[in-house]
Amino acid sequence: MNNMWILNMGFVALLIGAGLYCLLTMRNMVKLLIGVEIIAKGITLALIASGYARDNLLVAQSLAITVIVVDVAVIATALAIIININRHTKSLDVRKLTKLKG
Amino acid sequence: MHFFLMIGLVAFSILAVLSRDLLRSAISLAVASIFLAVIFFRMNAVYAGVFEVSVVAGLITVLFITTIALTRGDQEVIENKRHLLIFPLFFLILIIIDILVMKNLLGKIPAMVSSETGTFGEVLWNQRTFDLVGQIGVIFAGVLAVLALFRQGGKNHDGGKNE
Repeated sequence: MNNMWILNMGFVALLIGAGLYCLLTMRNMVKLLIGVEIIAKGITLALIASGYARDNLLVAQSLAITVIVVDVAVIATALAIIININRHTKSLDVRKLTKLKG
Repeated sequence: MHFFLMIGLVAFSILAVLSRDLLRSAISLAVASIFLAVIFFRMNAVYAGVFEVSVVAGLITVLFITTIALTRGDQEVIENKRHLLIFPLFFLILIIIDILVMKNLLGKIPAMVSSETGTFGEVLWNQRTFDLVGQIGVIFAGVLAVLALFRQGGKNHDGGKNE
């Protein structure tokens, strides 16, 4: 593995770290989804950088496209759930979701 | 050049996490996507770059901004900033342990049998056919889920009015 790949993996670690920080500490539901999105960006970058280093870019691109499509479906569904929750609780705070009673 | 693009990508991602305004976060995320797409184009991954620009920077940003507009008003959520110092320390320790463990394992990854030939379409359709079927399934499941969620929400809303 060359130095370029190691540099890319360092940035992937930074992206996944930022996303994990967002997921673990934030309380706004939209912010949590932004964290998921940043982690997905890191995964896509890891796939493409590995394909580039191993000279297997075509398979890496098809896997990256699969990740992107699944990500879009997840985000769309989660945003619809957030809009529904916001109608009930009038807030975006995850701490308000501790009550199961509607 | 590559290094600066990577710095831009990470900087806008961190800005998206730390920004207080949700709209500013969503736009920072779109800018980070554009940086990532330029990185893909420079790595000759044209198809992934096109998907990144059109789907992630375009469609997902539109979805985020629509949601923020629909839920605006009661969006003041007090965030706790106390973790900002503790989390990077633990993450750094995790990365150091990871590097120490992975250094020995990296040499054991087998090389691919042969360098691939053909076009992107051939690889996608012939080798990754099952992935495509899965993608279609996921998209349909997402569409049905969104439809079901909004239909159910409408019913509950009406029920609430009647009560």
